[in-house]
Amino acid sequence: MRDYLLFYVNGQEHRVGGQDVFSPLSTYLRYGQGCTGTKVVCAEGDCGACTVLIGRAAGGTVEYMPVNSCIQFLYQLDCTHVVTIEGLKVEGKLNPVQEAMVDFHGAQCGYCTPGIVVALCSLFDCKTQADEQDVKDALTGNLCRCTGYEPIIRAGMNVALERVRSTGELYPPQEMIARFGEHQGRPALIASEGKTCFIPATVEEAVDFKEKNPGTVIVSGGTDVCVNINKRGLDPDVIMSLSNIAGLSDVKVENSHLVVGGRASLAALADWAREEMPELYKIMWLFGSPQIRNAGTLAGNIANGSPIADTLPWLFVMEAVVEMTGPAGKRLIDINSLYKGYKQLDMAPGEIITRILIPLPENNETIRLFKVSKRQNLDISAFAAAIRMTIEAGKIHSAKLAYGGVGPVVLRLPKTEAFLEGKEAALTTFGNAGKLAREEITPISDVRGSKDFRLQLAENIMLKFFLETACGREPVCR
Amino acid sequence: MPVVGKNLPHDSARGHVSGESIYVDDMPPAKNELIVDFFYSPVAHGKIKKLDLSAARKVPGVVALFTHKDLDGENLFGPIIQDEVLLAEDAVHFIGQPIVVIAADNRAAIKKARRAIKIEIDELKPILTIDEAVAAKSFIGQTRAIRRGNIKEGFDGAEHVIEGTFINGGQQHFYLESQAAVAYPGEHDQLVVHSSTQNPTEVQEVIAHVLGLGQHQVVVITKRMGGGFGGKECQATHPAAMAALVAHKTKRPARISLSNDDDMTVTGGRHPFQNTYKVGFDRDGRITALSAHLYSDGGAFADLSPAVLGRAMCHIDNAYYLPNVEITGTVCRTNYPPNTAFRGFGGPQGVATIENIMEEIAAYLKKDAYDIRTLNCYGIDDRNITPYGQVFKNNYLPRLFRELAERCHYKKRLEEVKEFNAISRTHLKGISMSAIKFGISFNTKFLNQASALVNIYKDGTIQVSTGATEMGQGVNTNIRQLVADEFTVDPEDVIIMPTSTEKNNNTSATAASSATDLNGSAAVAACRKLRERLTECAAEYLASQMTDIEKSPGNIVFENGLIYDNRRPDKSVSFKDLVVIAYHRRVSLGERGFYATQGVDWNWETGSGTPFLYYTQGCSVAEVLIDRFTGDLRVKRVDLLMDIGRSINPGINRGQITGGFIQGMGWVTTEELKYSARGELLSHSPTTYKIPNIQDTPEIFNVDWIENDDNTLNIKGSKAVGEPPLMLGISVWTAVKHALSFVSNGKLPKLRIPATNEEILMRMTQYAKHPGAGDEQLKQPALLP
Repeated sequence: MRDYLLFYVNGQEHRVGGQDVFSPLSTYLRYGQGCTGTKVVCAEGDCGACTVLIGRAAGGTVEYMPVNSCIQFLYQLDCTHVVTIEGLKVEGKLNPVQEAMVDFHGAQCGYCTPGIVVALCSLFDCKTQADEQDVKDALTGNLCRCTGYEPIIRAGMNVALERVRSTGELYPPQEMIARFGEHQGRPALIASEGKTCFIPATVEEAVDFKEKNPGTVIVSGGTDVCVNINKRGLDPDVIMSLSNIAGLSDVKVENSHLVVGGRASLAALADWAREEMPELYKIMWLFGSPQIRNAGTLAGNIANGSPIADTLPWLFVMEAVVEMTGPAGKRLIDINSLYKGYKQLDMAPGEIITRILIPLPENNETIRLFKVSKRQNLDISAFAAAIRMTIEAGKIHSAKLAYGGVGPVVLRLPKTEAFLEGKEAALTTFGNAGKLAREEITPISDVRGSKDFRLQLAENIMLKFFLETACGREPVCR
Repeated sequence: MPVVGKNLPHDSARGHVSGESIYVDDMPPAKNELIVDFFYSPVAHGKIKKLDLSAARKVPGVVALFTHKDLDGENLFGPIIQDEVLLAEDAVHFIGQPIVVIAADNRAAIKKARRAIKIEIDELKPILTIDEAVAAKSFIGQTRAIRRGNIKEGFDGAEHVIEGTFINGGQQHFYLESQAAVAYPGEHDQLVVHSSTQNPTEVQEVIAHVLGLGQHQVVVITKRMGGGFGGKECQATHPAAMAALVAHKTKRPARISLSNDDDMTVTGGRHPFQNTYKVGFDRDGRITALSAHLYSDGGAFADLSPAVLGRAMCHIDNAYYLPNVEITGTVCRTNYPPNTAFRGFGGPQGVATIENIMEEIAAYLKKDAYDIRTLNCYGIDDRNITPYGQVFKNNYLPRLFRELAERCHYKKRLEEVKEFNAISRTHLKGISMSAIKFGISFNTKFLNQASALVNIYKDGTIQVSTGATEMGQGVNTNIRQLVADEFTVDPEDVIIMPTSTEKNNNTSATAASSATDLNGSAAVAACRKLRERLTECAAEYLASQMTDIEKSPGNIVFENGLIYDNRRPDKSVSFKDLVVIAYHRRVSLGERGFYATQGVDWNWETGSGTPFLYYTQGCSVAEVLIDRFTGDLRVKRVDLLMDIGRSINPGINRGQITGGFIQGMGWVTTEELKYSARGELLSHSPTTYKIPNIQDTPEIFNVDWIENDDNTLNIKGSKAVGEPPLMLGISVWTAVKHALSFVSNGKLPKLRIPATNEEILMRMTQYAKHPGAGDEQLKQPALLP
């Protein structure tokens, strides 16, 4: 069994064992390697100052994406190439993104700047041109307190594209890919000072380890677990990172189902949804930031089981099925019966989520997803909703409603659904449905919103659904 | 060619974009260095019964624990009123108040030690709202007043009177670099402290004061800050003093860098205000009288609160002439961290109060708020005296109002907004123009001074040290340009050095937007003295090289790095050569410059004076779109037009304007501080405290300024620009208020700052469900259970 991690930092090979394995990448870089260009501000993935690029082998090359290094622990980074702000100059000179940031005053105090430069470089890794919205979308995960962003947007739109060299060009991938190949198939077990980390290469190894070590905390994208470690005193003795299990990262359509692998990132789901399911894409665009979506997984969103998880209301009304793999084999469970209480899942100790199967909707169905948060982007919902209906000839044939942020778990609203079915699709119907919906939920007041606010949203969202979907018949909807 | 006026990059930009710029916590650890942090009060108010450090002392890696008893100097300080302790003694006054300083070999040990400290506190009832403070008469300092005219006659002559309450929430600075310092012990109890501070002198003074040292024993150095915004004007002192305490006591280097959560929990921010007002006006909307009482929430200690209140009171007039006026103000003492300086320094709360009144007068009279504002706008030749007696000279506001309204088609778009609101069932629009007239200079006269040290080296390169600190705002770049032009050299040959109390003593904070005004003027003063000596030297040298002219300093010209006698322009000497010549002739090539702003004064006894050297001005038009079902707010378009005199660096000025505006927009929209009924800040990280995101920038964002040459009072005709644009962000909030006026059943729309989606939705809901509602006054938001 391997007892070290292998990864690269700015082209240099690192083999790491012992306590360092349990460090956040940002700590390793700043205090271990003297790479102080990577800044840590929030230590919870909400500011982007610590953004680095993570490259993983894919189809004969290394694909890079921006992530928050404060919530990527080293055990998640086996067989990756980490590129930091220190690794982005070209032959010792500023690259075109950096030049544009200098010329357009994209930096003031400079503390967010390395993260912004890394995120912008990533945009130009995969795009040969970028409009204003592309620049904004690439930087949703990066807070800046000085510039008001406008100079950064202008910098992003004025990069000398013809001179951009991709990260893949800066760092020839062959040697790294070979080295990753030698390691990826071999599980790693690293123990140090009472802590153990296991990195399985197969589902079978993962299930076996989890069964034998019941307290194991599973880390996939780490966007939740790592925040809990940094901020909420979570201090797991046994960790299993799923980052090396092959074949679980796909998002594909099979037998009129959307099938999402247990390791598939939210970014991969968003990429699929962009063309195939724009309504889902709209929510995925609001979900966290590129850094969060690149790391976080749909399975993680399900396993974490937060009542304000952004994908859950959608999965509830789609009646998604979760595939669990355990010592006894595979089992399928309707997501509507998965949750037993606040973050309590019907899940056996040896089980892991391996796939999520989502039945594709019929053409005559209307699906609308809603997210309300204090700030539109990169914020956790105060309230979320999914509404799925079949309306024919002005009549509601079926109605499926799921609300988040209104109780300890995401809730379906059976009474309101029953009320709607068979009714005329009219403003008064939805007004009354909204009033009924208020009675089916038990929101609380917290830092994201008051109980009254959530009750009112629960009521209003029905009217919003009606008026927005009735667009075309109504005089003005925007 | 002069470089003043040129769009040079920020002097640190290349380091920033490559991650090579060094901040305090990026400094390589010294051998034997200790990590410093502190244990703070878990309750908002109480008496400490028992403090047991025995278990914490036993944590492996813990080297020392210090309490107030370990301070050899005085544990009492404060910039205005000395009422603040570094480490709590027998009582605690807010959650986050430091009690024990912890020094350890590593960060893990600090965490464990924090948990191992045992404290027993007899809890006392905290004061957590302004209402509670007023009821308990819990105040800081005295109630102040500014009066002018005859308030009774003003109201008697009014045709209409509105009374109301204005409420704004606080704001976290959210500088990205948390408070941080590293202290190095030296010989004879001397200390060198690197601090992320806007005010190295205050850090030096407080360290000396609490450690019982002379100020000459303490050197404080500030290379740069990762943002400040006022939050490091007074409150950088505490962590720096803790690091200094550890270094002083253990004789080991000591480093402190607060976590983001702790920083937000233990430091104060912008002051919440609760202001009552009564405004009288005629049928056209012209104000005849305004009386207002301002209450600010100062937190537990005075900090800068009295000065912040003073600036609020001096800015409640904003762009508008108030013939009869009575403004009073009181700072409330509550059980929150002391609130402090924050970009605008009370200005935003004063300005928002009157801009709120402008919207209300318009809604009351069913008129366009733009017309109400221009009607009340200060005049050029008359109606041009502020409530505190300063004549408002060089008034560009009427022009800015008019020009911006035309440029952005305000009237046409107002009609479009009305049409939209009449039709749309899903959304609501609002449009509003607000203004800023911001007084430049410290209200406190003696702070308006600065010094600079300029050293020319033998290769002709120049180092400049001033009291200004660089926090991203570009003061160093501005000064670099000013100095380069004095000698007509390449700005690359000029470096602005880290701010150090060793180079510049008794400096004022980098604050009040005036760092370039004060320190740039001091640097230029030093350059002028050097240039005089170099001129003398050049005259002598050039005359010695030519037989046809006599030495004549009056004929010497500096141009493009060359120095010549204008009678023989063909014979020149380069600046570099001249410097060597001067050196060989034993001419001093170092100089200190000093600057004190002339003509400013202020008297609190009379509430009058001429506190400001000049006013920076501007206008903003914001258009917003509100979702009627969720209260979600989008800023569709913003147009800004400012008067910033002559720009020293347009790129830097533009960045201050866009950055200030968005920060102001954040204050009035999404930045909401949530507290529990225990007085605990719940929104202490970016997960729950929402500063604007890049997606929140206005879809259309036009930024421009007029150029004028009339600000001859200030360096190169420039105007300070750091704070004023923040208050233009208020236009977003007044636009929301305008939008609400379409659904408020004819009542005046009430709205608190911040206008979160919840605040907006709950107002709309109230109007929809209770058509008679809307007259009751605003109340503070509820504390969470």
